Amino acid sequence: MKRFLAPASPVQTQSRLLRLAGVFLFLYSLILTLAPAARARSWAVDYRWSHWLGFVVWVVIFTLAQFLSRRRLPDADPYILPIAALLAGWGTLTIYRLVPGFGLRQTAWLLVCGLVFLLGLRLSPELRFLRRYKYLWLTSGLLLTALTLFFGTNPTGDGLRLWLGCCGVYLQPSEPLKFLFIVYLAAYLADRLPQSLRPLPLLAPTAVVIGIALSLLFVQRDLGTASIFIFLYTIILFVASGKKRILPISLVGLAFAGVAGYFLFDVVRLRVDAWVNPWLDPSGRSFQIVQSLMAVANGGTSGRGPGLGSPGLVPVAISDFVFTAIAEETGLVGTLGLLALIGFFAARGIRTAMRAPDNFRRILAAGLTAYLGAQSILIIGGNIRLLPLTGVTLPFVSYGGSSLLTSFLALLILFLISSQPEEEPAPLPKPQPYLILAGLIGLGLFALAATNAWWTVWRGPDLLERTDNARRSIADRYVKRGSLLDRHETPINLTEGEPGDYLRTYLYPALAPLTGYTNPIYGQSGLEASLDFYLRGLQGNPASSIWWDHLVYGQPPPGLNVRLSLDLELQRQADELLGDHTGAIVLINAASGEILAMASHPTFDPNQLDTQASTLLQDPGSPLLDRAAQGQYPPGDALQPFFQAAGYNLWPSQSIAEAWYTALGFYVTPELSLPVAAASTPGSALRLSPLQIALAAATLSSDGVRPAPRLVMAVDTPTQGWVILPALSESVTVFASASAADTAQALMISGQPFWQWNAQVTQANQTFSWSLGGTLPDWQGAPLAVVILLEENDPNRAGVIGQTLLKAATHP
Amino acid sequence: MSGPVVLALRFLLAVSLYAFLGLAFVSLWRDIKQQGALLASRKVPPISLTIARGEPAPQARHFVQPEVTIGRDPACECPVDDEAISARHARLSFHHNQWWLEDLDSTNGTLLNQEKLAMPTVVMSDDEFKCGETCFVISLVGDISMPPTKRI
Repeated sequence: MKRFLAPASPVQTQSRLLRLAGVFLFLYSLILTLAPAARARSWAVDYRWSHWLGFVVWVVIFTLAQFLSRRRLPDADPYILPIAALLAGWGTLTIYRLVPGFGLRQTAWLLVCGLVFLLGLRLSPELRFLRRYKYLWLTSGLLLTALTLFFGTNPTGDGLRLWLGCCGVYLQPSEPLKFLFIVYLAAYLADRLPQSLRPLPLLAPTAVVIGIALSLLFVQRDLGTASIFIFLYTIILFVASGKKRILPISLVGLAFAGVAGYFLFDVVRLRVDAWVNPWLDPSGRSFQIVQSLMAVANGGTSGRGPGLGSPGLVPVAISDFVFTAIAEETGLVGTLGLLALIGFFAARGIRTAMRAPDNFRRILAAGLTAYLGAQSILIIGGNIRLLPLTGVTLPFVSYGGSSLLTSFLALLILFLISSQPEEEPAPLPKPQPYLILAGLIGLGLFALAATNAWWTVWRGPDLLERTDNARRSIADRYVKRGSLLDRHETPINLTEGEPGDYLRTYLYPALAPLTGYTNPIYGQSGLEASLDFYLRGLQGNPASSIWWDHLVYGQPPPGLNVRLSLDLELQRQADELLGDHTGAIVLINAASGEILAMASHPTFDPNQLDTQASTLLQDPGSPLLDRAAQGQYPPGDALQPFFQAAGYNLWPSQSIAEAWYTALGFYVTPELSLPVAAASTPGSALRLSPLQIALAAATLSSDGVRPAPRLVMAVDTPTQGWVILPALSESVTVFASASAADTAQALMISGQPFWQWNAQVTQANQTFSWSLGGTLPDWQGAPLAVVILLEENDPNRAGVIGQTLLKAATHP
Repeated sequence: MSGPVVLALRFLLAVSLYAFLGLAFVSLWRDIKQQGALLASRKVPPISLTIARGEPAPQARHFVQPEVTIGRDPACECPVDDEAISARHARLSFHHNQWWLEDLDSTNGTLLNQEKLAMPTVVMSDDEFKCGETCFVISLVGDISMPPTKRI
């Protein structure tokens, strides 16, 4: 350890840094191998091995690079090679983790780039051939790019046609064009600048060149590359001439290009719109960016660990969104380190430029540093919504042979320039542009770090709860979800299977409109949605176990069982009675407000959701709707008993009626952990759900008191056992006990301990039948109230259903 | 058990990343300190100026600092009482392993070996220069052929 930290020559420093990079990549590979075990919480799994090939290739390349650079260029900058090596290795392993097949290809590219670098170390550091043949380099770069206009393809099949190639090997010429463009500009400006400082003869040829480059790119609609070219042109001219007025002029140019791109090209407009407001269309145009932000949020501070996140949910994670993948798996800790590495690299690049022995190499080094820095900032900023998304790659890290090759060529040139044996730096009359360039890159990286922290720490929790966060469904396959139980703890919905393959099973499908479903594609509904926090284990478990499971597994702890007030026996009878008729039944305990049965027909089978969802959504009978709680029907004469209890024999005036509606709670949405129709407002036509009428009917059976509805009774916590959940509202006295009793007696069915009132309402050519009923006030058992609604003209049937159900409930 | 094992490895992973950055910064810091020590230990070859002006007898002044300003201003390293000399007239400075003489835009100019001094010029032992009415003879004591400056 002490030896490791002792003062060292550049060669030794480079060797130590490379060895540390190797340790980092070894640990990364090891975690990636063990990741399946951690995810399944067991050692008996299939481990990942393929990425070790990438690690071995990395070790071979950079051992050779260290050996050769020590012999040839012992004075070269000792930092840039290890940083580039670490980034390239990190990128390759991340790509292996995302798509193993592409990881193999990236390893092949890494081998090619390593060989190019090793051969390049033999070049003379004076780089005369680059300077001499500048027009040749530029022309070949432009020609290659022009060829994509005619022979352009896209390896993925569709999208921008920016690639050349065949037979599985593709090249994106705009990548090497950036490099050749910088070489050309540096050579040109180094030749011209000392003789003439007048702007016009200097600008004319370069402007023509940039015009050609831009028109090519605009034809290909690649705004990211276009803005990089404008930025590079600006920075190189600024660094070469030291004139500050170039900066605002170029800013105007960049803004102009952006605005023109916005109005001319759909691709650009789409990306800018998705940047300005991604939340408008999170499943369509801004799908990528929203998914990317959720991945960053899921990484949090410590990250999910290599191989333990779900970065594959973000489209094109291997190239454009590789930063997102790194952010999800290594967290803020990893990304801040990554940004620091890029910043360190850029600082060394600018230092290399300032100490360069002549103007050509100085401008060249500054240009290459600006290229690597700007491209990193542009794509990372796009990934975390600091900047509009541009389809450029992250140098050294992203998948792509052309990008990796260009990055390594830039590294090679910087490495050569930084090693000038026995040469004094050329005089530098204006050092300020270099400081400004360093400041710009530093500021950009700082803004990225702050934005990244904002999404992970501040906005993270909100983002992770979004329903389009597919990580929740993935966790559902690995963590057992809590069951929904009836009042006798008979399961209604439960989760079965092995970890990694859990499946939700609905044992009583007819209850589907009420209990709902939880499905990886169609989301959640009903109680599965409103009780999700308990069923998923995010509420009711100790905070420490939630924290630990999230840290170690990136998953919530096992879910909690929830007991409902429903009685499955009564529910079965209610469903049988309702049969094929469209309508709803609500049976409640009139005193406690506990809902004993709640039927809504037609219903559906959530076990078949995957195959039937589209039919269900288009079904005119709307089987997904919970008619009992969400249906809104005109009450009409069904309200008669309540006016009778209030002392009116005739229908009272509108204002008096509204006062009673208020007292009966018709203007207040019932509070229940269930999606419930919003109540009508005074002054509009009154619409009531069967649940609201049932609560009102309960007043006649329970001494004039309207109970608070209860559906969720208790939750089974690991530390305290069953914890009773109270009603969400208070019961209210509506009628005097005597007048409620009188009304119930008046509506008594002879020979039965029940009262009943049937009514029918016709509204807009549709007739609805209501039946209200309940036990009489002198009933010794638990008081009950029942409401039946049929979407047809058959009040007698409704009455028969009501009586049968009350009989079943009172004589079990 | 697999989760906590991987968690420990993840911790080591983060440590190795920051160890890399830390080592890079420590090396950089060492490098800067070494540069500082190198520059601080670098000796400036002393320079002597002999004022040849008849009255009083020629006197020699010795300097060890890397910059010597000549002028009427008493704050100069080499103040000279001469009406024809500007307040800050000329400067001798040591850089690039040489002593250089430059005129500080003085009223009457500086003559080096009877020639007008237009730009900073390297001076050697026995060179003569004239500011106002005062003549100076340079003598460089010791050997200035130091080892070439080591690059940072």
